[in-house]
Order: sequence, then structure tokens, then C-alpha cells
Amino acid sequence: MPEFTEAYGSRRVVLTGLGAVSSIGIGAERFLAGLRQGRSGAKPIGAYDTTGFEYANGCEVVDFDPGRYLTTLDPRTLGRATQFSVAAARMAVQDAGLSDNELSSRACMVSVGTTDGESRDLDHLVEHELEQGPESMDPAVAGRVPVANLSTAVAREFRLTKAETITVPTACAAGNYAIGYGLDAIRLGEADIVLGGGADAMCRKTFAGFYRLGTIAPEVCAPFDIDRKGILTGEGAGILVLESLESALARGARIYAEVLGYGLNCDAYHQVAPYQDSVADCMRLALRDAGVKPEEVGFISAHGTGTQANDVTEARAIRSVFATPPRTVSMKSMLGHSMGAASALAAIGCALAIREGFIPPTINHVETDPDVALDCVPNQAVPAELRIVQNNGLAFGGNNSVVIFGRYDS
Amino acid sequence: MTKRPTRPRPVIVDWSAISPFGIGREAFLAGMSSGGATDCVPAEDGAIPRTRARMAGQFETRTALGRKGTRSMDRLTALTVATAGQLVERCADLTGSPGQDGGAPADVLPGRALVLGTTTGSAQSMMDFTRSSLTGDRPYHVDPARFPNTVMNCAAGQAAIWHRLKGPNVTVGGGRAAGLLALNYARRLQATGRASSVLCGAAEEYSPARAWLQHHTGDAGGADSVLGEGCAMLRVEPSEQAPDSAFADVLALEFGVFDGVNQVAAVLRQCLHTALGNADVTPAELWRVATSGAPGALGSGEHAALDALLADSAADRVSCADFLGDTAAVAAAFQVVSVLAMAETEPADAPRTALITSVDRDGVAGCAVLSLRPTPSGGYGPSTPPIAATTQQ
Repeated sequence: MPEFTEAYGSRRVVLTGLGAVSSIGIGAERFLAGLRQGRSGAKPIGAYDTTGFEYANGCEVVDFDPGRYLTTLDPRTLGRATQFSVAAARMAVQDAGLSDNELSSRACMVSVGTTDGESRDLDHLVEHELEQGPESMDPAVAGRVPVANLSTAVAREFRLTKAETITVPTACAAGNYAIGYGLDAIRLGEADIVLGGGADAMCRKTFAGFYRLGTIAPEVCAPFDIDRKGILTGEGAGILVLESLESALARGARIYAEVLGYGLNCDAYHQVAPYQDSVADCMRLALRDAGVKPEEVGFISAHGTGTQANDVTEARAIRSVFATPPRTVSMKSMLGHSMGAASALAAIGCALAIREGFIPPTINHVETDPDVALDCVPNQAVPAELRIVQNNGLAFGGNNSVVIFGRYDS
Repeated sequence: MTKRPTRPRPVIVDWSAISPFGIGREAFLAGMSSGGATDCVPAEDGAIPRTRARMAGQFETRTALGRKGTRSMDRLTALTVATAGQLVERCADLTGSPGQDGGAPADVLPGRALVLGTTTGSAQSMMDFTRSSLTGDRPYHVDPARFPNTVMNCAAGQAAIWHRLKGPNVTVGGGRAAGLLALNYARRLQATGRASSVLCGAAEEYSPARAWLQHHTGDAGGADSVLGEGCAMLRVEPSEQAPDSAFADVLALEFGVFDGVNQVAAVLRQCLHTALGNADVTPAELWRVATSGAPGALGSGEHAALDALLADSAADRVSCADFLGDTAAVAAAFQVVSVLAMAETEPADAPRTALITSVDRDGVAGCAVLSLRPTPSGGYGPSTPPIAATTQQ
């Protein structure tokens, strides 16, 4: 552990590496190109048999070869979500210009959020059980299920035997949770580098559940649109290299953005419906932690699922916090709802937006819902000088997490 | 190795548990005094090879929580809601309501937090849901009321709803070490001022789905294995707010990751070395060591690390798995409350130090060092009424 040379909890934290696995592109560069172009990840689902569903589009990652990224671990020993997590971590570390040796010599933490973990493996185990009885379950698949693997596999890939690893399964805000936890560990001087983000793989269980709730869109995800019809399930991973500012400066690292702060609270209200007042409180907590005034926020990356309930509730919460709401976009219009990866991929989008000077669009947009009444940057990315960006993550269980990023000026 | 400066440390001011010993803190204390809990073969699971269990036998969701709001609740969630309820009941600070209930706005007061450890949520809920999609007339003929149970933060979210816990609400996935990872999360929430009071623990249910999964992974430890279940929860306060009657101070928490069982001993040894250094404790000063009781080579590695450390120590080594069974996600949390229970039933005038160790097949090794506050004979701890009749049955 490093000495605590600074005041307690005061160290600044910056982003120096980004790793993305998404339906609109793998790797930070392709992901950036996808966001700029407003690319859609929507396509018919091939991850599982969709016979009997009247419609089944999703934002699947179809060109992913884990062997291209993993150098230490055998991909066959990992579930798909863990493969995503480790691959994204590999890309992020490479992007940060860190060697494996450099990384393992530092005080590291791995912090990965998820909604479903390896539920896709659980789906397969149930299929086998129905066909051949529970005695026939594949032990290798059963062994991949515990959700801690999403973070411990990353540590094992980089041989980080001294790392603290944590998996945070707080549903669809999990990516922001994991980033926030990493921020605190570095602020407190307990880690120098954190590989933090989220990962999820598409699974039948979650599709069937959302479908039954009537929240799956037949074709595309159109957040904030008056005719929005719901979510598209998606998958992928976003892992970010969070690093203390002094560490980043000492090694001359490229700095995408600074992590200024975050907020965390719970609705304590309903298992699946968001609660406006507490969503607003979470944004206030984040802004306060970041030392930022609402009017300084350049744009909000909304949770923006594209359901009737979320979009109006979130928009009203935003309008209650911001006298003049900033532009508010939903990257889920492009990526679908990648669950535990969602706020992590959006965080990468925020960092790229700050660094590259643009605001990603909300695609599939025709007419803004008057109850939403926000400028959602329809269909086309816009250039913008950005200083502060806010990333919202809301989840089942009323688990809210909002992260604030800022431009780093040397 | 460098030493940490003094900084706020979490203090354990209350605890409760629902376990194979029964419901509540008193039942746990009594069970620890009398020895192990009783094995049973769950009736409906006779077909599962080698399955024996130590169930939280008296616990039944509707008896503990009533009929309202529990129709679709799974056992994992019910165990969590009930255990949290026991702590909330005993603490006016937790039932008083900062936030939207007319008190100060939530952005001024840190809210009441909950951090809960899990392995994979309720595997039974998740697999049942998929099964209903595969066997129903239509693949979407699933029970929407049970969909939230299939998400791993269900138990923590429900506990927040039941007990109005509007602060940070966190679920931590970590196998046997989950309880220690949760305690570390609670520590950071307090150190950064995001929370003051934190309910912190872990929960695991016995279910056929879990029994089959552990059977196939070999993690159940072979023919001698007994699967346990339950929930253990602590209330922790930042040191400056803790009352004198508190139970224990958390001096250090350390973690590492091993790749393969042959690294277990070395990685855990490193954690122990760092943790004792940060706690400023020598092995000779340890009073008791509670191990995870992991089976097979994992457990051998855990003991090898301790053998090296404790050569000159008279500390008793206790495995909670011996009397509670393999309790998976709640293992470390049960280890912590077991040590608290032992301290309470063996009075002492001076502080004593305990070590908690944990290893899990997911690769996490970890440990905690606790300083148990003096326990004058005649009992100590928060001046609390006995567990309420509603939860005692």
C-alpha cells in the first residue's frame, strides 16, 4: 500500500485507458466512430432460440473473438460476460500504455459491475437439465457461474495477486457503482490504478422477463421519442483505467478526462419503477461530490432506456435539478441496454466526448415526447466544447448511481 | 510494507443473524455455546447426490415477515429482509428518517446504507425463471412478479424498501469472502462520508439449484459436505460516532487473488502479513482465528498460510463450517459474528484480537483483523431488548 502523503481522500483521479466491447464496435476507436456516426447495434438476436417470441431484436456483439485479447487465461474457462470483462480490461490497459509488469508493481484494484453475471451459463444449464436431467450439468460451466469471476479473472489475466477485486452486481447502474468505488479507493490513497467498469452477456432469462413486462421494443430503441416502445437488450463491456493524477503525470500518460465525483442512493420505493425525487437527489449528491454546479454541466448521458416509465421520470428528475437542463442523450439508442455494462460504456462515451469535443446523438428519434421536453441531440452527433459531463445509471432495486466527469487541463 | 496512518475505522455496534442455530442474535449465541447445528436432508431434494443441509430451520418467510408483500419473495430476499429488520428494530437512528420523510433533504444527510454480499443472488430464482420460459406454452409465459428476484441486487433492494434505507445500497458478489468485501465497502462509504450507519452483511439460501451447482463444481467438498444457509448482518458506525458499548473495531482488511490452488497459501500469507502490520498486531497477540472452512486443497492452502503465521501463537483456530455447514456467500459474515459471539460468552477485561481468514474458489483470498472490546461478565454490547417476539416466533 502506498504512503498517505496527502490529505485524507483528496487525491485527484483521471482516466488514462478505455476498453470497450460493444454492438457498435470493439475497442475505443471503433466505439468512438460508432458514437460519432450514430451507428445502431440493433439486429435479430442469435444468442438464444427466440422461437415463440413475436419479435426479438437486440444489440448483440457478433464479431467477438476472446482469443484475440486474452493472453494468460484460456477463454473456454470463462463465461461470456467474463470474457467481455477480461477483453475490455486488456484493451484498456493497452490503451493506457501500461505493461503487465508496470501494472502488477502498482497498488491495483479491479472493480466490475454486472446485472446478470453468467446467467447465460445458467440458461444453458437449465436447458441441459430439461433434456438430460440435472446430473448432466457440465461442471466446467457450473464452475463459471459465481459472479466474483468477472473481476477475479481480470486480476488473474494480469497476474495481479495483490489486487483487491470486487464484483458489484447492482443491476443496471452497476458500471457506475464500480467506477465510483474505484474513484474512492484512489482518492483514499488505497489504490493507484483501478480497472473499473461493467460487463454483461445477453441471456434468455432477462429477455423473457422484460418481454413479459411489455418493455421490449419490437425493432429499435427510441429514447425520449413520443412513440418509444421500450428497450432492446444488449451486451458488452466497458472497462476504464482510473489512475491517480500524480501517477498519470509521472508516467506521461494520455489523460482522457478527470473523474470528478459521484453519487449513490436508493429509492427504497419500488423494485422496478424509478422514483423521481430520489433520482434527482442522486444527481445532486454527485454534483456536490464533484464540486460542480448544475449550470456547469455540458451534457447528460441519461440512463435513457426508452421505456415509457423511465424516460419521463428521469427527464422530470433532470428538470427538477437543472433550471435550464443541458442537452441529454441516450447512448442506449445505439447500444441497446447492455445492463451492467451500460453505464460503463456510457462513461467511456463521456470520456471520448470530452476529449474529442462532441456530443453523441440519440438515434431513432422522430418527435420528442412533450413530457420529456429535453434536447436529446436527435440522430446526429454535434460538436461541442465540453468541460463537465454527467452520466446517469438507474437500476432495479432503486439503486441509483451518477458519475461526473470533467475535462483535464494540464 | 508501509503502515497506514490512523484514520476512521468502522466499529461494529450491533449484529444479528438467521442461521441453522435459529432466528436472531440470542439463538446464535445459544447455538455457539451448545455446539453444532443439526443436519437434515431436505425432503424434496432426496434425489441430489450426497446432499445434506443445515437449514435456517425455523425460518419461514410468512411467519417472519407476514403475508403482505411476500407472495413472490424468494428465500434469499426474505432472510435478508428479516435479518436487517432485527437490526433496524433495535436502532432509533435507523428508523428515524432523514431524507424525504420531512427531515433534512437527502443531499445534506448521508443516508442509511446497506451493503450485502452474495455469490450469485438466488440461483434458484434465476434458473426457475429460465425454466418457465422454456417449458411454458409461450416463451414469455413467465411470472412478472418473480422477475425482480432474478436480479442479484433483489435482496438488498427489497431490504431498502421494507426498512426505508435510502442511503447507498450495494450488492457485492464474492463467494466465501463476500462478507469481508462488504465490510471493506462499508468502510470506504464511511471514510468518504457517503454513509454513517451501514448495515453490512451477507446472505445465502439453501436451494436445490445451489446444491446441484455446488455438487457439479466439486466445491461442496465431497461426501462430508453439508450446505448451510442464512444471513448475518452487522451494524457498523464510523469510529467517532460509535458508543462505548460497541462490540469490536475493524482494524484491517486485506485481499489478494490467486490463480490455482497452489497459490492460495502464498497469496493469503501476503494478506495476513499486510493486515497484521496495518493493525499493528503480532501473531502472538491473536486470541482467536476463524477460518472459512473451505474444502479440499483450498482449505489446505488456508491452513498452510496460518501454520506459518501462528507457529508462536496460542490462538485457537475455529472453522465455522464445522458447525454451520458450507454457507458460501455468508461464510465470512458468519465467521465475524461467531467471533463476536465467542467474545460475548467468554468475558474478558481487556481487548482481544481476532483474525478472520477467507478463500474461495473464485480466486479471492482475504482477511480481517478485529479488536474485540472488553466484555465484562454479565454481558455487554448495546443495551437492547431481546429479539422481538414477532421474529422469534
